[in-house]
Amino acid sequence: MSEEKKQQVSRRQFLNYTLMGVGGFMAAGLLISPVRMAIDPVLKSGEGGGLANVGIAVDEITNEPTRIDWSVDQVDGWYESQVSRSAWVFKDENDEIVAFSPVCKHLGCVVSWEGSEKYPNEFFCPCHDGRYYKNGVNVPGTPPLTPLDEYEMEIKDGMLFLGDPKPHREA
Amino acid sequence: MKWRKEDLEKYVQAKEYIDTILLPIIPFQLADDAESEKHAFQQEVMGIFGSEIEQELSGRVMLIPSYYYLKEGNKEVEVQRLNDWIAEAKDQPFQHIILLTFDATWKKYEKELDGNLLWLPGLHGADIRTKETQGIIRDQVKQLTEIIRSYWQ
Ligand code: FES
Repeated sequence: MSEEKKQQVSRRQFLNYTLMGVGGFMAAGLLISPVRMAIDPVLKSGEGGGLANVGIAVDEITNEPTRIDWSVDQVDGWYESQVSRSAWVFKDENDEIVAFSPVCKHLGCVVSWEGSEKYPNEFFCPCHDGRYYKNGVNVPGTPPLTPLDEYEMEIKDGMLFLGDPKPHREA
Repeated sequence: MKWRKEDLEKYVQAKEYIDTILLPIIPFQLADDAESEKHAFQQEVMGIFGSEIEQELSGRVMLIPSYYYLKEGNKEVEVQRLNDWIAEAKDQPFQHIILLTFDATWKKYEKELDGNLLWLPGLHGADIRTKETQGIIRDQVKQLTEIIRSYWQ
Protein backbone atom coordinates (compact mmCIF):
# COMPACT_ATOMS: atom_id res chain seq x y z
CA MET A 1 0.00 0.00 0.00
CA SER A 2 2.58 2.47 1.11
CA GLU A 3 4.74 1.05 -1.59
CA GLU A 4 2.06 1.97 -4.17
CA LYS A 5 1.63 5.45 -2.73
CA LYS A 6 5.29 6.12 -3.01
CA GLN A 7 5.15 5.04 -6.61
CA GLN A 8 2.21 7.34 -7.30
CA VAL A 9 4.01 10.30 -5.86
CA SER A 10 7.06 9.57 -7.81
CA ARG A 11 4.97 9.27 -10.96
CA ARG A 12 3.46 12.62 -10.30
CA GLN A 13 6.84 14.05 -9.56
CA PHE A 14 8.10 12.54 -12.73
CA LEU A 15 5.30 14.24 -14.65
CA ASN A 16 6.01 17.50 -12.90
CA TYR A 17 9.62 17.33 -13.82
CA THR A 18 8.87 16.55 -17.42
CA LEU A 19 6.37 19.37 -17.70
CA MET A 20 8.80 21.76 -16.15
CA GLY A 21 11.29 20.45 -18.57
CA VAL A 22 9.05 21.36 -21.49
CA GLY A 23 8.52 24.82 -20.02
CA GLY A 24 12.22 25.13 -19.63
CA PHE A 25 12.77 24.28 -23.26
CA MET A 26 10.25 26.88 -24.31
CA ALA A 27 11.89 29.54 -22.19
CA ALA A 28 15.24 28.59 -23.63
CA GLY A 29 13.71 28.95 -27.09
CA LEU A 30 12.58 32.45 -26.30
CA LEU A 31 16.00 33.32 -25.00
CA ILE A 32 17.77 31.84 -27.94
CA SER A 33 15.75 33.38 -30.72
CA PRO A 34 17.06 36.97 -30.41
CA VAL A 35 20.58 35.59 -30.49
CA ARG A 36 19.68 33.54 -33.49
CA MET A 37 18.25 36.59 -35.21
CA ALA A 38 21.51 38.36 -34.64
CA ILE A 39 23.72 35.68 -36.08
CA ASP A 40 21.62 33.90 -38.65
CA PRO A 41 22.08 35.78 -41.91
CA VAL A 42 18.85 34.45 -43.40
CA LEU A 43 16.80 36.03 -40.64
CA LYS A 44 18.53 39.35 -40.83
CA SER A 45 16.90 42.00 -42.93
CA GLY A 46 18.58 42.25 -46.28
CA GLU A 47 20.83 45.17 -47.00
CA GLY A 48 20.01 44.90 -50.68
CA GLY A 49 23.75 44.71 -51.19
CA GLY A 50 24.79 46.26 -54.47
CA LEU A 51 23.42 49.21 -56.30
CA ALA A 52 20.65 48.82 -58.84
CA ASN A 53 20.43 50.21 -62.34
CA VAL A 54 17.36 52.40 -62.13
CA GLY A 55 16.96 52.74 -65.88
CA ILE A 56 17.89 56.36 -66.49
CA ALA A 57 20.89 57.62 -68.42
CA VAL A 58 22.92 60.45 -66.95
CA ASP A 59 22.27 62.73 -69.95
CA GLU A 60 18.53 62.37 -69.42
CA ILE A 61 18.80 63.96 -66.00
CA THR A 62 17.91 67.67 -65.94
CA ASN A 63 17.58 70.38 -63.33
CA GLU A 64 13.95 69.43 -62.89
CA PRO A 65 13.46 66.73 -60.24
CA THR A 66 11.97 63.61 -61.84
CA ARG A 67 10.51 60.65 -60.06
CA ILE A 68 12.18 57.32 -60.80
CA ASP A 69 10.65 54.00 -59.72
CA TRP A 70 12.44 50.68 -59.61
CA SER A 71 12.35 47.51 -57.56
CA VAL A 72 14.86 45.46 -55.64
CA ASP A 73 14.79 41.97 -54.16
CA GLN A 74 14.88 42.09 -50.44
CA VAL A 75 15.05 39.42 -47.78
CA ASP A 76 13.35 40.78 -44.72
CA GLY A 77 12.87 38.32 -41.90
CA TRP A 78 10.78 35.50 -43.32
CA TYR A 79 9.84 37.16 -46.52
CA GLU A 80 11.77 37.42 -49.69
CA SER A 81 10.08 39.98 -51.79
CA GLN A 82 10.33 42.60 -54.44
CA VAL A 83 10.10 46.00 -52.88
CA SER A 84 9.45 49.07 -54.91
CA ARG A 85 11.63 52.07 -54.41
CA SER A 86 11.46 55.61 -55.72
CA ALA A 87 13.71 58.60 -55.90
CA TRP A 88 13.58 62.24 -56.98
CA VAL A 89 16.54 62.67 -59.29
CA PHE A 90 17.97 65.91 -60.74
CA LYS A 91 21.14 67.93 -61.26
CA ASP A 92 21.76 70.62 -58.66
CA GLU A 93 23.21 74.09 -59.32
CA ASN A 94 26.74 72.63 -59.39
CA ASP A 95 25.61 70.14 -62.04
CA GLU A 96 25.97 67.32 -59.55
CA ILE A 97 23.40 64.55 -59.62
CA VAL A 98 21.28 64.17 -56.50
CA ALA A 99 18.79 61.41 -55.72
CA PHE A 100 16.50 62.07 -52.78
CA SER A 101 14.38 59.46 -51.10
CA PRO A 102 10.76 60.58 -51.38
CA VAL A 103 9.92 59.29 -47.92
CA CYS A 104 8.83 62.17 -45.71
CA LYS A 105 10.86 62.42 -42.52
CA HIS A 106 7.76 63.18 -40.50
CA LEU A 107 5.72 59.97 -40.69
CA GLY A 108 6.74 58.50 -44.01
CA CYS A 109 4.36 59.59 -46.75
CA VAL A 110 5.75 60.05 -50.26
CA VAL A 111 6.63 63.64 -51.13
CA SER A 112 6.31 65.16 -54.61
CA TRP A 113 8.25 67.87 -56.35
CA GLU A 114 5.92 70.86 -56.59
CA GLY A 115 3.18 68.69 -55.09
CA SER A 116 1.26 71.78 -54.08
CA GLU A 117 0.51 74.77 -56.30
CA LYS A 118 0.93 76.99 -53.27
CA TYR A 119 4.59 76.08 -52.86
CA PRO A 120 6.45 76.16 -56.16
CA ASN A 121 10.06 75.02 -56.25
CA GLU A 122 9.68 72.81 -53.18
CA PHE A 123 9.01 69.18 -52.31
CA PHE A 124 5.59 68.81 -50.74
CA CYS A 125 4.17 66.09 -48.51
CA PRO A 126 0.42 65.61 -49.02
CA CYS A 127 -0.20 64.12 -45.59
CA HIS A 128 0.40 67.02 -43.21
CA ASP A 129 1.74 69.71 -45.56
CA GLY A 130 5.39 68.97 -44.85
CA ARG A 131 7.77 70.94 -47.12
CA TYR A 132 11.39 70.72 -48.23
CA TYR A 133 13.53 73.08 -50.28
CA LYS A 134 15.03 71.86 -53.53
CA ASN A 135 18.24 70.93 -51.68
CA GLY A 136 16.22 68.49 -49.56
CA VAL A 137 16.33 70.54 -46.37
CA ASN A 138 13.07 70.68 -44.44
CA VAL A 139 11.26 74.01 -44.31
CA PRO A 140 11.17 75.14 -40.69
CA GLY A 141 7.73 75.29 -39.16
CA THR A 142 6.41 72.33 -41.16
CA PRO A 143 6.10 68.87 -39.51
CA PRO A 144 9.32 67.18 -40.73
CA LEU A 145 12.35 67.87 -38.54
CA THR A 146 15.14 66.52 -40.74
CA PRO A 147 16.10 66.76 -44.43
CA LEU A 148 15.19 64.09 -46.96
CA ASP A 149 17.49 61.06 -47.18
CA GLU A 150 19.84 60.74 -50.12
CA TYR A 151 20.54 57.57 -52.07
CA GLU A 152 24.00 56.15 -52.41
CA MET A 153 24.84 56.40 -56.07
CA GLU A 154 27.25 55.39 -58.74
CA ILE A 155 27.48 56.07 -62.44
CA LYS A 156 28.44 53.18 -64.67
CA ASP A 157 28.52 53.36 -68.47
CA GLY A 158 26.47 56.53 -68.39
CA MET A 159 23.68 54.93 -66.37
CA LEU A 160 22.55 55.84 -62.88
CA PHE A 161 22.82 53.19 -60.15
CA LEU A 162 21.22 53.72 -56.75
CA GLY A 163 21.69 51.86 -53.47
CA ASP A 164 20.23 52.46 -50.04
CA PRO A 165 18.97 55.77 -48.68
CA LYS A 166 21.40 57.46 -46.29
CA PRO A 167 20.96 60.59 -44.16
CA HIS A 168 21.24 63.86 -46.07
CA ARG A 169 24.76 65.29 -46.31
CA GLU A 170 23.72 68.22 -44.16
CA ALA A 171 22.05 66.12 -41.49
CA MET B 1 0.84 52.32 -41.54
CA LYS B 2 0.08 48.66 -41.68
CA TRP B 3 -1.52 46.41 -39.11
CA ARG B 4 1.75 45.18 -37.64
CA LYS B 5 3.56 45.64 -34.36
CA GLU B 6 6.21 48.02 -35.59
CA ASP B 7 3.72 50.40 -37.18
CA LEU B 8 1.30 50.27 -34.28
CA GLU B 9 4.01 51.45 -31.95
CA LYS B 10 4.40 54.48 -34.22
CA TYR B 11 0.66 54.94 -34.49
CA VAL B 12 0.15 55.10 -30.74
CA GLN B 13 2.75 57.89 -30.55
CA ALA B 14 1.27 59.88 -33.40
CA LYS B 15 -2.48 59.21 -33.30
CA GLU B 16 -3.43 62.78 -34.06
CA TYR B 17 -1.74 62.57 -37.47
CA ILE B 18 -3.24 59.30 -38.63
CA ASP B 19 -6.89 59.87 -39.36
CA THR B 20 -7.69 57.64 -42.32
CA ILE B 21 -8.51 53.94 -42.49
CA LEU B 22 -8.08 51.90 -45.65
CA LEU B 23 -10.17 48.74 -45.59
CA PRO B 24 -10.03 46.36 -48.58
CA ILE B 25 -13.20 44.31 -48.91
CA ILE B 26 -12.71 41.06 -50.76
CA PRO B 27 -15.19 38.45 -52.01
CA PHE B 28 -14.56 34.74 -51.50
CA GLN B 29 -16.27 31.64 -52.87
CA LEU B 30 -15.34 28.11 -53.93
CA ALA B 31 -18.44 26.92 -55.79
CA ASP B 32 -17.55 28.12 -59.26
CA ASP B 33 -14.07 27.21 -60.50
CA ALA B 34 -13.74 29.89 -63.14
CA GLU B 35 -14.99 32.50 -60.74
CA SER B 36 -12.72 31.48 -57.91
CA GLU B 37 -9.73 31.94 -60.17
CA LYS B 38 -10.96 35.43 -60.86
CA HIS B 39 -11.53 36.13 -57.18
CA ALA B 40 -8.15 34.81 -56.15
CA PHE B 41 -6.53 37.07 -58.72
CA GLN B 42 -8.51 40.06 -57.51
CA GLN B 43 -7.38 39.28 -54.02
CA GLU B 44 -3.75 39.37 -55.14
CA VAL B 45 -4.20 42.62 -57.01
CA MET B 46 -6.06 44.14 -54.09
CA GLY B 47 -3.10 43.27 -51.90
CA ILE B 48 -0.85 45.25 -54.23
CA PHE B 49 -3.21 48.22 -54.36
CA GLY B 50 -3.54 48.26 -50.60
CA SER B 51 0.15 48.22 -49.95
CA GLU B 52 1.03 50.69 -52.72
CA ILE B 53 -1.50 53.24 -51.51
CA GLU B 54 -0.34 52.67 -47.97
CA GLN B 55 3.24 53.30 -49.05
CA GLU B 56 2.36 56.62 -50.66
CA LEU B 57 0.34 57.90 -47.72
CA SER B 58 1.66 55.87 -44.82
CA GLY B 59 1.99 58.83 -42.46
CA ARG B 60 -1.72 59.44 -42.44
CA VAL B 61 -3.35 56.20 -43.55
CA MET B 62 -3.72 52.92 -41.68
CA LEU B 63 -4.25 49.83 -43.82
CA ILE B 64 -6.22 47.42 -41.64
CA PRO B 65 -6.87 43.68 -42.17
CA SER B 66 -9.07 42.97 -45.18
CA TYR B 67 -12.73 42.15 -44.78
CA TYR B 68 -13.75 38.93 -46.53
CA TYR B 69 -17.31 37.95 -47.37
CA LEU B 70 -19.05 35.22 -49.31
CA LYS B 71 -19.70 36.41 -52.83
CA GLU B 72 -23.29 35.22 -52.88
CA GLY B 73 -23.94 35.95 -49.22
CA ASN B 74 -26.54 38.30 -47.86
CA LYS B 75 -25.29 41.83 -48.46
CA GLU B 76 -27.63 43.36 -45.89
CA VAL B 77 -25.91 41.34 -43.18
CA GLU B 78 -22.50 42.30 -44.53
CA VAL B 79 -23.42 45.97 -44.55
CA GLN B 80 -24.26 45.70 -40.89
CA ARG B 81 -21.02 43.98 -40.01
CA LEU B 82 -19.03 46.45 -42.07
CA ASN B 83 -20.72 49.31 -40.28
CA ASP B 84 -19.63 47.72 -37.01
CA TRP B 85 -16.03 47.74 -38.22
CA ILE B 86 -16.42 51.34 -39.32
CA ALA B 87 -17.92 52.35 -35.99
CA GLU B 88 -14.98 50.74 -34.21
CA ALA B 89 -12.59 52.84 -36.29
CA LYS B 90 -14.58 56.05 -35.97
CA ASP B 91 -14.44 55.71 -32.20
CA GLN B 92 -10.66 56.09 -32.23
CA PRO B 93 -11.29 58.63 -33.80
CA PHE B 94 -10.49 58.01 -37.43
CA GLN B 95 -12.15 60.67 -39.58
CA HIS B 96 -12.06 58.98 -42.97
CA ILE B 97 -12.92 55.36 -43.62
CA ILE B 98 -12.21 54.20 -47.14
CA LEU B 99 -13.48 50.86 -48.41
CA LEU B 100 -11.65 49.52 -51.44
CA THR B 101 -13.38 47.02 -53.67
CA PHE B 102 -13.47 45.47 -57.15
CA ASP B 103 -16.98 44.19 -56.57
CA ALA B 104 -19.52 46.45 -58.27
CA THR B 105 -22.48 45.00 -56.36
CA TRP B 106 -21.48 47.19 -53.42
CA LYS B 107 -22.46 50.24 -55.45
CA LYS B 108 -26.09 49.49 -54.62
CA TYR B 109 -25.35 49.63 -50.91
CA GLU B 110 -23.11 52.66 -51.00
CA LYS B 111 -25.62 54.86 -49.21
CA GLU B 112 -26.08 52.43 -46.34
CA LEU B 113 -22.35 52.21 -45.65
CA ASP B 114 -20.90 54.64 -43.14
CA GLY B 115 -17.62 54.93 -45.03
CA ASN B 116 -16.48 56.05 -48.47
CA LEU B 117 -16.67 53.30 -51.05
CA LEU B 118 -13.94 53.34 -53.70
CA TRP B 119 -14.76 50.98 -56.50
CA LEU B 120 -11.96 49.99 -58.87
CA PRO B 121 -12.42 48.35 -62.25
CA GLY B 122 -10.78 44.91 -62.12
CA LEU B 123 -7.73 43.96 -64.16
CA HIS B 124 -9.01 40.98 -66.09
CA GLY B 125 -6.63 38.46 -67.53
CA ALA B 126 -3.63 40.63 -66.79
CA ASP B 127 -0.31 39.30 -65.53
CA ILE B 128 0.91 41.20 -62.51
CA ARG B 129 4.52 40.44 -63.32
CA THR B 130 4.59 42.32 -66.60
CA LYS B 131 5.94 45.85 -66.81
CA GLU B 132 2.77 46.88 -68.58
CA THR B 133 0.45 45.81 -65.78
CA GLN B 134 2.75 47.33 -63.19
CA GLY B 135 2.49 50.59 -65.10
CA ILE B 136 -1.30 50.40 -65.11
CA ILE B 137 -1.35 49.69 -61.40
CA ARG B 138 0.98 52.61 -60.72
CA ASP B 139 -1.29 54.94 -62.68
CA GLN B 140 -4.36 53.76 -60.85
CA VAL B 141 -2.62 54.08 -57.50
CA LYS B 142 -1.76 57.65 -58.40
CA GLN B 143 -5.39 58.41 -59.16
CA LEU B 144 -6.57 56.71 -55.99
CA THR B 145 -4.20 58.69 -53.82
CA GLU B 146 -5.53 61.84 -55.51
CA ILE B 147 -9.07 60.83 -54.58
CA ILE B 148 -8.07 60.12 -50.99
CA ARG B 149 -6.32 63.48 -50.80
CA SER B 150 -9.50 65.13 -52.01
CA TYR B 151 -11.33 63.67 -48.99
CA TRP B 152 -8.82 65.46 -46.79
CA GLN B 153 -9.48 68.88 -48.26
S1 FES C 1 4.17 62.52 -43.16
FE1 FES C 1 4.94 64.18 -44.32
S2 FES C 1 4.21 65.85 -43.21
FE2 FES C 1 3.51 64.21 -42.03
